[in-house]
Amino acid sequence: MQRREALKQTALFGVATALFPSLLQSCKETSRLNWQPQFLSVKHAELVSSLVDTLLPKTETPGALEMKVDMFIDLVYGKLNGEAGQETMDKGMDDFDARCKEKFGDRFADLSPENKAEFLKMEEANSPKFNGSIWGTAAGKQEPVGFYRNLKSTALWGYFSSEEIGLKVLTYDPVPGPYQGCIPLAEVGNTYSL
Amino acid sequence: MANFNIDAKKDMTYDAIVIGSGISGGWAAKELCESGLKTLVLERGRLVEHVIDYPTMNNDPWDTELRGAAAAEELKERQINARTGFVGENNIHFFAKDDENPYKEVKPFMWVRANQMGGRSLLWGKQCYRWSDLDFEANAKDGHGVDWPIRYNDIKDWYTYVEKFAGISGEAIGLPQLPDSHFLPPMELNCVEKDVKKRIEKEFPGRNMIIGRVAHLTEPLNGRGQCQSRNRCDRGCPYGAYFSSNAVTLPAANATGNLTIRPFSLADSIIYDEEKGKAVGVRVIDSETKEVLEYYAKIVFCNASTIGTTQLLLNSTSNRFENGLGNDSGELGHNLMDHTYRVGAMGKFEGHEDGYYKGRRPNGIYIPRYRNIDEKSTTDKFLRGYGYQGGAGRANWGAGANQEAFGGEFKDALMKPGDWEFFITGFAECLPYHENQVSLDKDKLDKWGRPTLVIDAEFKENELAINKQIQIDAVEMLEKAGLKDIVGFDNEHGMGYGIHEMGTARMGKDPKTSVLNATNQVHAVKNVFVTDGACMTSSSCVNPSLTYMALTARAANHAVSELKKKNL
Repeated sequence: MQRREALKQTALFGVATALFPSLLQSCKETSRLNWQPQFLSVKHAELVSSLVDTLLPKTETPGALEMKVDMFIDLVYGKLNGEAGQETMDKGMDDFDARCKEKFGDRFADLSPENKAEFLKMEEANSPKFNGSIWGTAAGKQEPVGFYRNLKSTALWGYFSSEEIGLKVLTYDPVPGPYQGCIPLAEVGNTYSL
Repeated sequence: MANFNIDAKKDMTYDAIVIGSGISGGWAAKELCESGLKTLVLERGRLVEHVIDYPTMNNDPWDTELRGAAAAEELKERQINARTGFVGENNIHFFAKDDENPYKEVKPFMWVRANQMGGRSLLWGKQCYRWSDLDFEANAKDGHGVDWPIRYNDIKDWYTYVEKFAGISGEAIGLPQLPDSHFLPPMELNCVEKDVKKRIEKEFPGRNMIIGRVAHLTEPLNGRGQCQSRNRCDRGCPYGAYFSSNAVTLPAANATGNLTIRPFSLADSIIYDEEKGKAVGVRVIDSETKEVLEYYAKIVFCNASTIGTTQLLLNSTSNRFENGLGNDSGELGHNLMDHTYRVGAMGKFEGHEDGYYKGRRPNGIYIPRYRNIDEKSTTDKFLRGYGYQGGAGRANWGAGANQEAFGGEFKDALMKPGDWEFFITGFAECLPYHENQVSLDKDKLDKWGRPTLVIDAEFKENELAINKQIQIDAVEMLEKAGLKDIVGFDNEHGMGYGIHEMGTARMGKDPKTSVLNATNQVHAVKNVFVTDGACMTSSSCVNPSLTYMALTARAANHAVSELKKKNL
């Protein structure tokens, strides 16, 4: 019940801020966001946006921001994680930015591209990894992988399960017909989206 | 489709009542209706009509807000089912809510329920394997549990009978421990599976790796279409390509004009007539209105799922049966079994980088039991045996999460398929232990005022010893098959995860030690039949559903013949 109330309030807050965008301005300067987070704080949403943009930037194929991966992560945070998961993620994001500040004197979203890359390299080296999984269950005991690896995983999910990537970039084959076990990869090209 | 009994008072008397519409209930309904019996199927949940009630069957990931995942808020009502890891936005409506049948777990037991027309036949894994005399004789040979009152020959023709109608695809290879079915063409192995098969069969004489035998059509059958490799089975199949009650048996039952389905009908108890010495009907609670109704019939088939059926029998008390209908032996509720699961190994395969596949095959490979099948293969480490399921596939973009890389090149490289991976995971036989049991808690009632269940069961030494061997063998097979980065794993956690619960109203020769006779009749109440998983006397290591189908068809035809002889 409490949770429903909280959701309702957040939704109301969303409407109000849409009417008065100036309320959204963060403590620093103008918000970097061009969208209204439903669940994340603005500060956290800015971290998520800058992170997914660094992880999956625009190339010849669209980048994570074009696929609204940051907005998807906001939904995952609010609707999928549950309260305990949200607390863990909040703490993870605060710690992440605190380490950034310690190293480069600023939060991640405000770092130069070079410093962002350098910081992520450190995160990659220091973050635990996911076990392999079978039928959706991790093989063996999965130790926590921490905020960075989790966020990266969610960003990949959000990006590669988005409609444009699924339909136009990956190989979309909704009704494959009888299974063919061994065909040349060249006949398919990119990996299947489904 | 069927006649729906909405006006409860209109017609309270039928020839036969079937409680439950899942895999075995659907078969009972079909056989009884086709024999000319007016049959009432009681379903505790809602109606689910084939195709019409499959709202998510064509959803792509981007069609739902959370890309197929279920929101935490929705999962709150299904915490037990959610433990499977299989519940998502596209199939959540086929999983029951916890408060529809609360139970106490003395030890962890995940009881997966699907309370709607078709039951778990909409969600099952479709793996279909015949049992052999290795299974039917196991109890008699090692003394665990009681002897089965039947042997393979008693059920062999019934396997063929149900296979011809259900449609089972697979390859015949003539193993005595895993008799061949009547097969539709097998699904294909992929490039890596073909290589691994060759290597395993060469390195380990006596072990076989075959394509899974499954209730998926590989060619059209009786108006049903063949599998299109969408692997969206758990949302309902628009082609009717996999076996479900909804697509296969209930339409056949309905075509006779003899079928009536009553939804929202919780079977509360079987009504026993002391003078007649038999059951005369079923007391039903309308789960929506809480109205209590009585339906009458000459025979009653219990197909409410293993634990559901036993709950019903335990709750069916009378002067004659103070501890539950047909419980003269005291074995009702006991000998609960499941298969162990989630123990095995995985690894990477080098080669076939230019190879791929087309389709999402709803099936994998199977390695039939090879331990304790003859003198040569006998071990003193444990009794009974195990088989493996598994398969090979190429990693997709998900593998990127662990790669120590990010940025544009990283992203674009993930558009291509990744490493070939192969895994196997064991399914082991569980011995029938008297102390693994379900019982009623008469002090704690559900929202309809029925006693709730207490489940007290665990795997014991023998199962854990098998699991140990499963992992050792799995790692060894993958090593000899040339896989790299091999990881062995043991994720066993309590019973129920195999979703193969069996036993609690076992068949047997002796009424003093068993609940049912050789034709699935309650020993002391011959017009009550139990043909779902509750009837199982041992658990084998192979998937049980095909055996439920065969036992049900056999029992239903026996019931009809006994009715004609006026023996019931």
